[in-house]
Parts: sequence; structure tokens; C-alpha cells
Amino acid sequence: MDHLQPSDSALISLYLAGQESAFAILLERHRSRAYTTILLIVRDEDVAEDLLQDTFIKAIHTLKSGRYNEEGKFAPWICRIAHNLAIDSFRRGKRVPHVSLTDNDRLANTLTIADDGPDDILAREETHARLRALIQELPAAQKEVLLMRHYGDMSFQEIADATGVSINTALGRMRYALINLRKKMTTNSVYYDSNLTLFDTAPVRVQRIAS
Amino acid sequence: MIQTLPYSTLLQYVYNELPLERQREVEEVLQHDPELASTCADLLLAQRALDGVRCEPRTQTSEVILRYSRTFLVNY
Repeated sequence: MDHLQPSDSALISLYLAGQESAFAILLERHRSRAYTTILLIVRDEDVAEDLLQDTFIKAIHTLKSGRYNEEGKFAPWICRIAHNLAIDSFRRGKRVPHVSLTDNDRLANTLTIADDGPDDILAREETHARLRALIQELPAAQKEVLLMRHYGDMSFQEIADATGVSINTALGRMRYALINLRKKMTTNSVYYDSNLTLFDTAPVRVQRIAS
Repeated sequence: MIQTLPYSTLLQYVYNELPLERQREVEEVLQHDPELASTCADLLLAQRALDGVRCEPRTQTSEVILRYSRTFLVNY
């Protein structure tokens, strides 16, 4: 029922008209993507939380000072801010290369399926943790495209423009990012969960073609 | 078997970047090319796996941001 949800553009207009609740919806809608983008770059939860605050504070300043470009889309814009802040932070060395994977509250937060038993949850989280680690191992250019496209909601053309390459290069980098992830998941089979395989097939194919 | 569409087109398809007309063309090809359909399924499963990696920030972080927004409005 996405069509019943107010667009980002409508929420921004309401926010600028003084409706703080509109900004709360924007934040709710985009915080996960922005936070994941940041966390996968800086690899430290506390730093990522701080940078997420910085990201949205920067957005608040831009919006309320009337400098926001209505022609752009909010999601890619907020992702670019998050990405740039995370890269700056990473380059300054303000990170500890560690992501806590044992905090039960955070672990429950990351799960999308709540009905699984404890063993399923742990197995799923272990696989997700491993995938996070494998994303870190990707070449920088491939990781950049993967984060911008998948978590930042930027189109391949927007990524190409932002990174100064052609759209074909951006698409090629995404392709190799996925190929490399697949190779790494297969190689690191000790972490491989047959219920969570990256590249199993049939059910999804039917679903997508039918949609 | 040679695939009838480039991988880059499939990437744009699974990320909903193709215009409607082009989407329909891709879906038509997928129905007649099992290998391409399998590759497409791989991509969709990769998307699903990447979705699973998504994390949520702490509630307190959102509260701080919202409080800042309200304060900024007062000071503006």
C-alpha cells in the first residue's frame, strides 16, 4: 500500500511548514539505510550512531535554511551525506575495526523475521555477520557502488554521476561486487547456512516474474 | 547458452530502474530463457541477503535527532 504513504517530497513540504511529525516519518523511513551505509564503512556502532546524527543534523540545517534542492530525491541525497561523512571519518581513522555481534538487543533489532526460534535467529545473524564482514573485504570501488545502490537507494546513473564514472562502469562494479560476494560466501562455507544461501533459486524467480 | 540480455540490464531490472516498457520486454525474455531467469533469481536472492544485513540504529539516536530538529526550529 505504498501509494497511501506520503512521498518524501510531501513530507519535506510539511516539515518546512512546521510539522515536526513529518520529519519523524522521514527519519523512520530512511534511518536504517543511512545507518547501514555508515556502519558498513566505519565498522563501529558508536561511531556510526554519531555519524547518523551528524547526517540528519546536516539535513535539518539544509532543509530549514531553504537550501534543499527540490529537484533531487531525498533518499539518494541523505545517502550521499551519510556516505561522505562515513568516508571522511574512516579516512581520519576514527574507527575501531570491530562490530559487536553479541549484543542481544541489537541482534533482535536487525532481524526482520521475529517468529524464528533462538537457533534460527543465531544462525541467521551469524550468516548476516559473515556477509557484513565479506562486504568489508570487497575492493573499495565495488563496495562503494554496492552501498550506494543497495542501501543508499541511488540509481546507477546517480552513482555514476557522484563517482565520476560511466553508468556502464557503475553497473560493472556492482556485477563484480556480487560475483565476489558469492565466491567469498562459497569459499567461507564454514559460515554458510543452506537456509540463507545468497544464491539459491526457484521460489523468488517465480515471485518476481509474476509481479 | 548465450544469454539474451546483458547482465547490466538485469541489474537495472531487479532494482526497478527500467522504464515500464523495457520492464515488460525483460519479463517476456525471462519467460523464454531459463538460464537468464536463473541468473535473475540469483540477483533477487542476493538482494534479499543484502537486505538481511540492514541494521537499525538505537532508538535514542533517533530521539536525539528529533529533539535537535525541534530545538533548531525554536532557535531559527
